[in-house]
Amino acid sequence: MAEFFLELFSEEIPPKLQKNARDFLLENFKQIFKEKNLKFKSSNSYSTPNRLIILFEGLDKEIKEKSEEIRGPNINAPEKALEGFLRSNQITKNEIYKKNTEKGEFYFFKKQEKTVNTFDLLEKNVPLILDKISWKKSMKWNDFEMEWGRPLKSILSIFDNKKLSFKFYHLESSNFTFVDKEFEDKKKIFKNFSSYNDYFNKRGIIINQNYRKKLIEKQLQKISERKNVNLEINVKLLNEVVDLVDQPHILSCKFDQKFLEIPEEILIITMQHHQKYFHTFDQKGNITNEFFVVANIKDNKGFIKIGNERVVDARLSDASFFWEKNKSQNLIKQISKLKSINYFEGLGSYFDKVQRMRKLGALISDEMLISKEKIELLTSICKIDLISDIVNEFPELQGVIGGYFASSQGFDKDISLAISEHYLPTGLESKVPKKPFSIALALTDKIDTLVGFFGVNQKPTSSKDPYALRRSALGIIRLLLENKKEFKITDLIKYSITLYRDQGFNFPNEKVQEELSTFLIERLKFYMKQKDIRYDIVEASIDSFSIDQASQMYSKALALNRVIIKDIGNDIILSYKRASNILENELKNKDLDLSNTTDPGIFKNEYEKNLYKKIHELRKYFTSINKDEDYYVTLGNLANAKPTISDFFDNVIVNDEDHAIKKNRLELLQMLCKTFDNYINFASIESIK
Amino acid sequence: MPKKIKKIKKKTKPKFQSFQDTILNLQKYWSKQGCVIVQPYDMEVGAGTFHPATTLRSLGTKPWKVAYVQPSRRPTDGRYGDNPNRLQHYYQFQVLIKPSPKEIKKLYLNSLSVIGINHNDHDIRFVEDDWESPTLGAAGLGWEVWCDGMEITQFTYFQQMAGMQCKPVSVELTYGLERICMFTQQKKNVFDLLWNNQGIEYREVFHQAEKEFSAYNFEYANTENLFKIFDMLEMEAKSLIEKKISLPAYDQCLKASHVFNILDARGVISVAQRAEYIGRIRDITKGAAEIWVNSQK
Repeated sequence: MAEFFLELFSEEIPPKLQKNARDFLLENFKQIFKEKNLKFKSSNSYSTPNRLIILFEGLDKEIKEKSEEIRGPNINAPEKALEGFLRSNQITKNEIYKKNTEKGEFYFFKKQEKTVNTFDLLEKNVPLILDKISWKKSMKWNDFEMEWGRPLKSILSIFDNKKLSFKFYHLESSNFTFVDKEFEDKKKIFKNFSSYNDYFNKRGIIINQNYRKKLIEKQLQKISERKNVNLEINVKLLNEVVDLVDQPHILSCKFDQKFLEIPEEILIITMQHHQKYFHTFDQKGNITNEFFVVANIKDNKGFIKIGNERVVDARLSDASFFWEKNKSQNLIKQISKLKSINYFEGLGSYFDKVQRMRKLGALISDEMLISKEKIELLTSICKIDLISDIVNEFPELQGVIGGYFASSQGFDKDISLAISEHYLPTGLESKVPKKPFSIALALTDKIDTLVGFFGVNQKPTSSKDPYALRRSALGIIRLLLENKKEFKITDLIKYSITLYRDQGFNFPNEKVQEELSTFLIERLKFYMKQKDIRYDIVEASIDSFSIDQASQMYSKALALNRVIIKDIGNDIILSYKRASNILENELKNKDLDLSNTTDPGIFKNEYEKNLYKKIHELRKYFTSINKDEDYYVTLGNLANAKPTISDFFDNVIVNDEDHAIKKNRLELLQMLCKTFDNYINFASIESIK
Repeated sequence: MPKKIKKIKKKTKPKFQSFQDTILNLQKYWSKQGCVIVQPYDMEVGAGTFHPATTLRSLGTKPWKVAYVQPSRRPTDGRYGDNPNRLQHYYQFQVLIKPSPKEIKKLYLNSLSVIGINHNDHDIRFVEDDWESPTLGAAGLGWEVWCDGMEITQFTYFQQMAGMQCKPVSVELTYGLERICMFTQQKKNVFDLLWNNQGIEYREVFHQAEKEFSAYNFEYANTENLFKIFDMLEMEAKSLIEKKISLPAYDQCLKASHVFNILDARGVISVAQRAEYIGRIRDITKGAAEIWVNSQK
């Protein structure tokens, strides 16, 4: 057994590409070893910004392919079959012989015992595997044909302490690598991975990214304890930083305390997104001016700490300059400035948009029984932050910054919160606004957006959704369902269309109403599937209700989904199916005309009377429930009807000779099904037993 | 040994290099590496990349090494001289080498030492940055180079220029001169930079220009005329392309691009129009570049 060690040295490869390359190469080597039946003890892939490493330990040096007799085609088979057999085994006609078997006479070939040498196998296959690698983004350099994530400089390739020799484009494999990543002119020969790893370890370079990650995490914890600050390590940032360095050194830095007056979100974006620093909080949860930098070299002269601190100070002084300038600019006085920013071709300016939102919001406020004046104010000022310098600098903070402006200018808390949250939710995981004004504003904005873009035919396609309309639609769904709110969405859409028309925007698309309702239903389906609601229940719900009853629809589906595999669910479905199956058959075969009236006068037995009574009990229950329906109670009541229903079917023959009696019994069954359908249309729901 | 201590102290104290010395030292260094040192292009451009010594020369197969300083204009970045970090007019130092040499990183790191940045004392990082210029129809892969957390250079391997694949591939280095000097001179305000060693500051050279050009770009530029000028330049470019005169045609593209930038700063170009204007510039640029490439054969 021996070690296979491959190192690909290149200029700095971005973190995401490193991970992809590591996984791809490891997987492909495993695959080829599996194909050839080569066993190994362990396999690993490592990377630094400059080095990609594949390591197999305890790999078989050779594998014996056993001697065996291989049967070919029947001797009477067409010539082509024989040719194929020869070709696939890479043999000639001289090597085969005929032999009789129970099934007839066949051609045979005796395959000799053969030793496959791993060394040879690798020399042949390493360049093939390297060539297969698919980079998300790759490049060319110089005049070479090779494509790689960044310029590849050398290939160190060793098996069993010996150099593998192969060519890969303009490069020749070797047993050395460049040990100084900057100048790439110091070469060193290595025989195996452990001497390689030791060499770099002694110089403070950590080849294994998992060790680097642990080390950085541990040091960050230690240093934050020493500084008495809290640190929430952002996993994405940590993983990125791990792949940006090979000799991590943590520096504890500070920015000027005066910048703590800027909104926290700006500080965090500056440090985390722009500079890849780790920010900290004090014991009360307030952000502090202490932050940690993961440098890639020891800061012997203290330059690096000062440099990083100055970069943050410069960036924050920029932000602070804008923040100070913008925060006192009166929001209301700026409304007319929205005329200067275009919303979208054919949909007017942002001024036009907020004028529409004002009216649509007012309608929503009526439904929600909240202050109309407040909503009108909110809709008018919620987009003002778009003309501020600070949102121009930090576009990802739109809304949030508007909220800060409002609160610094003394608006009520629910107003600033609503502005701050009005782009939410932005996906399946994002926070959903819960306060009435926040819900109203978020809903208003999204409906206006969707109606407008659908109106000018900028609808998403299966692969493209440049204006994130799916996200907006899902946002509406989540706002409704997760707040258990019901809105007449179809009316809101209709009203929104007229608002556009009143402004003189005539939509080229005349089917906005239908298309948008369907689009919202699609998102609702998607949401229900994400919540693991069974497909047939989703379909039945969509069948039974419109988008205007989305919340009710969802809650009912959720409740039914929970009980469907239990006895309650089973009882309901079986009861319903017994009735609906008979009904369906009878209705199909004869031209029977049911009139939706049952005549209790011609009931012949107790079972009929009992069922009739039960149905009436259920009907009474359904008419008595109000908005606070407990869906589990409803489902329980339906399930409780099972004994009565079973008694009926066990003792009554629906198909009576007397046509009037038969018809009356069918009427009874239809009445039963229709009563059940008050909850949801059960017809297409399957029982699992 | 007091003598030794003194020596170390002297060493650790960073050397201040004036703005003009930084330019001169970079020119000298790249001249020694065999680069042709040309002068700034005599036209308003948004970046050093637009100089025909980069755009056009990065096309075709002939080897080429060039370095120059290029005043660059970004009308939307103007701040009336009030912001310590933003300018609508600033300097880039530009190097282009075709084909990209194997030891380019070494050459680059050594160039930093001549302007007072020793890579052994600083955290120099190559951070992914894929570059794209929609107006030039250009794209490249590379990094922004960080020095102690600050971006000081764009380091790009051109993959495409004016819509054509680059073969061989050129490497482009773009040094942000003001940023670098703010770093080496340890200044918080760009206007406090020492221009020379006789006490002239950046403020004295450019502050009035920042103020007046910000006012022009944001308030006074006659947009009606500029829209007309844009159309005229486009027409001129097309007619020159038809006549197969590449360099004057390319000049029209540069002018059109700058006119577009002013219109953009004036806020009179809508989102939808934007894409259209950029497309128009890209088309004439492509036309001019294609003629140039053919003239090289």
